[in-house]
Amino acid sequence: MQQVLLKIIEAATQKHGAYYAEARAQKLHKTMFTLKEERVEAAKQGIENGVALRVLVNGAWGFASVGSFEDDILLTAVSNACIMAKTASQRLKNPIKLVAAKTVTDHVEVKSKKNPADIAMEDKIKDIFQINKTIQQYDKRIKSCTVDYLDLTGSSFFVNSEGTNIQQDKMFVWSRITASVESYGVFTFSREEVGSTLGYEVFDAQPPQEIGEAVAKRAVAQLSAKSLKGGKAPVVLGPNVVGVFVHEAFGHLAEADLALSGGILFNAMGKKIGSDLVTFYDDGTIPGAFGSFKYDDEGVPTQKTLLIKDGVVAGLMHNRETAYKFNIQPTGNARAEDFRVEPIIRMRNTYMAPRDHKFEELLEGVKSGYFFKSFRGGQANIDGTFQVGIQEGYEIVNGEIGASVRDASISGNTLETLLKVDAVGKDFAINSGRCGKGQIAFIGDGGPHIRLSEVVVGGSA
Amino acid sequence: MVAVLEKDEMLTIAEKAVHVAVARGASEAEAYVYEGQASNVGIELGQVNKTNQIIDRGVGVRVVVNKAMGFAYTNIVSDLNAIEDIVVRALSAAKASKPDADWKGFAQKKPYVSVLDGTFDSKVLEIGSDELVNISQVMIDSASQVDKNVLVAEGGIGNAYISNAVVNSNGVYGFDKGTVIECSLATLAKYGDKVTPVCFEFNAARNYKIDPTWVGSEAARLSVSTLKTKPIKTKTTKLVLSQFALQDLLGYTLLNAIKADSVQRGQSPFKGKIGEKVVSENLTIYDDGSYSGGMRTWLFDGEGVPHQKTLIIDKGVLKNFLYDNYAAKKEGKESTGNASRAGYLSTPNIDITNFHIMPGTSSADDMIRQVDDGLLVYYLQGAHSSNPVSGEFSVVATPVWKIKNGEIVFASRDVMLAGNIFEVLKNVQIVGNNERQVGGLIAPWIMVEDVRVIGK
Repeated sequence: MQQVLLKIIEAATQKHGAYYAEARAQKLHKTMFTLKEERVEAAKQGIENGVALRVLVNGAWGFASVGSFEDDILLTAVSNACIMAKTASQRLKNPIKLVAAKTVTDHVEVKSKKNPADIAMEDKIKDIFQINKTIQQYDKRIKSCTVDYLDLTGSSFFVNSEGTNIQQDKMFVWSRITASVESYGVFTFSREEVGSTLGYEVFDAQPPQEIGEAVAKRAVAQLSAKSLKGGKAPVVLGPNVVGVFVHEAFGHLAEADLALSGGILFNAMGKKIGSDLVTFYDDGTIPGAFGSFKYDDEGVPTQKTLLIKDGVVAGLMHNRETAYKFNIQPTGNARAEDFRVEPIIRMRNTYMAPRDHKFEELLEGVKSGYFFKSFRGGQANIDGTFQVGIQEGYEIVNGEIGASVRDASISGNTLETLLKVDAVGKDFAINSGRCGKGQIAFIGDGGPHIRLSEVVVGGSA
Repeated sequence: MVAVLEKDEMLTIAEKAVHVAVARGASEAEAYVYEGQASNVGIELGQVNKTNQIIDRGVGVRVVVNKAMGFAYTNIVSDLNAIEDIVVRALSAAKASKPDADWKGFAQKKPYVSVLDGTFDSKVLEIGSDELVNISQVMIDSASQVDKNVLVAEGGIGNAYISNAVVNSNGVYGFDKGTVIECSLATLAKYGDKVTPVCFEFNAARNYKIDPTWVGSEAARLSVSTLKTKPIKTKTTKLVLSQFALQDLLGYTLLNAIKADSVQRGQSPFKGKIGEKVVSENLTIYDDGSYSGGMRTWLFDGEGVPHQKTLIIDKGVLKNFLYDNYAAKKEGKESTGNASRAGYLSTPNIDITNFHIMPGTSSADDMIRQVDDGLLVYYLQGAHSSNPVSGEFSVVATPVWKIKNGEIVFASRDVMLAGNIFEVLKNVQIVGNNERQVGGLIAPWIMVEDVRVIGK
């Protein structure tokens, strides 16, 4: 495989005037199925083989994606990419440059006790059906449950004109579980995601029955929850909500491409933007976490990147292009969903570092507020506004957890909100999820329980 | 672009897959072949600096063995062995699956109505990279001319050729091809250290009719209008919803409620309500997969069922749900041609085609003039966190514009809107005449009453 890729790169740099060229090939196999109640909707298998070619000509990018490994097709594609890049470069004022990166030669192998490729599809369906069965048997008011399963195995190959040559084996296991409940015209809904780069053994750590029970329990409990009034309130957030807050409200702002596009962290290095208790990392090195990998899709080693230390901005997430603009080392955040798309700056496992409070201590100071345990979606704008939906929440009355509340959300300005972090717990958990930025990336996010002295809480009562 | 697969080649691949599947023991089989070729020029930080070309083709095969469904796909279609290989994989997947007592066969053959205007335009495919770069520059220049504080964050233009073929063992045999062109620009305004929210505009069409000058200047105009903002008080108020806002609010709620599979599985508040008034009498809605020039207009759906025009809501009264072949046969009905596919990679799912909210008579200006106190809402954040079953939402609108006594008086940001979309749709007061297509939605602006707004 690498021989073909080297030939294509050589053509780009020797014949077509590319200053830099890279070829990224993938040979991937996917197994998927969707279970709806008692039904297997379709058991699916897919093969996705192809090559992504990227060239830098006169300071402009050219990219081509081809579902083929044939020399002549790839040679035509790389020639076209160089021509298009040359055309695009005509009115360039600021040519793209890349920061220097060490060349790497490596073969990263996957080590797993239970490689999903070695498990029969029939057995996977049988295992995952346990989730559906548990949910449906939990309560007769449960109207539906949908479980999606995906595993992805194979290899990616990365070769560039600087001499880097990497083969990286891939293995992801993912599942999304949703259940809906109806009773006397009240509809509630609950969801959960499971994801791992460890292997199929993720279902030993999180047995299907336990996953099913958690989803069913939450959906049913929501039936008796009340809608809440909107307004400002102190809140305690669980690791699941903290994770999505760190990812959405801050993480995207710390992606260097978005910071450069007029984001609020453009000139923020060294600035104090959060309370002393706020320390955030984006970390691709956590073994087995859903957002972990060894090399990014520019061949740069992943790392643990400090984003905020004690409330002060300490770093951004970079690819080689933005690292050049900021005159620093790349952080290994360039990721591409597959061979069809270019690598862009993406998060890995983004989390808040724990401190020293017990959960009860976080609640103690709250006379009247909310405990938000689990999220349902979140989004942010680069001007620093964010919204996180809540699927499981409770009132806090005089330091005690009270009645559950339905369909709440929190929103606000990220920088104002980070200053309102007034207590941080000592526990820690990471969730698996997927992030959309035009492309889907597998990510992790998390942290401890935390308390915000005040945030805007949305509700419809 | 490289040579595209011709009609005969696409149909031959599909026929071959179906043939092999049946010969190897499938009781029924269906093959879907897809090709997409796209060229894009990208804008970043005010300049054109990237291009891409994507050639994606593949075949997805569904087979049924003992009423159990298996599916496999590959993006290698040049090699007949690869096609044999995925048929084998689909068969083994079917054998690993469970029989489905409700399975009543693939779609039957039906005639296609081939008078579709404006879904294929060879001029779109003749646009070279020079021209794509020029159009991008027009958008950038138009935005910059609006105000010197405008920054172009990102954008671009792309043209695409898409074709698909469906063949099944019941005699379905279809091929269709189309073109798409789309340009967009995202801008913000920066004054000192004050940054406005990103504002976005776009044009998309099936034929070569786009207005990059308007896209650039409109995105910039919206950005500049939010430079000076004032906070908004918490209250219950009127909203004028743009197509962007409607797409977000309806996409995760109403569009789910009208899908037959949601109804059958108890996930829709509209279950059992055909013939009842479910929303304001000011709303009439069709799903129209044959809408002239529509972004989702094709001869047939992902199962080879002809696209059609289906009345969903007539003056507030619920008339029909959207069906694919499976959900329709479960109720002894006919598919409405709403089986949607993500290319060759996926099995069909029920989805809207062109979801058409019929326009009223008020212009945008008229509508605003009739609002004594309210907000004009463009972009929303967090609509995907809505409760998809009950319709409860709690989203952030940024920016919004305050309307007072029939005039826009200032902009605001970080405004939270909360409520239940099904209740909101009962309070539609005015339906505008300014319709346009955004994603699958063709709609005008809509004015609604009694929405809870949480300000600062």
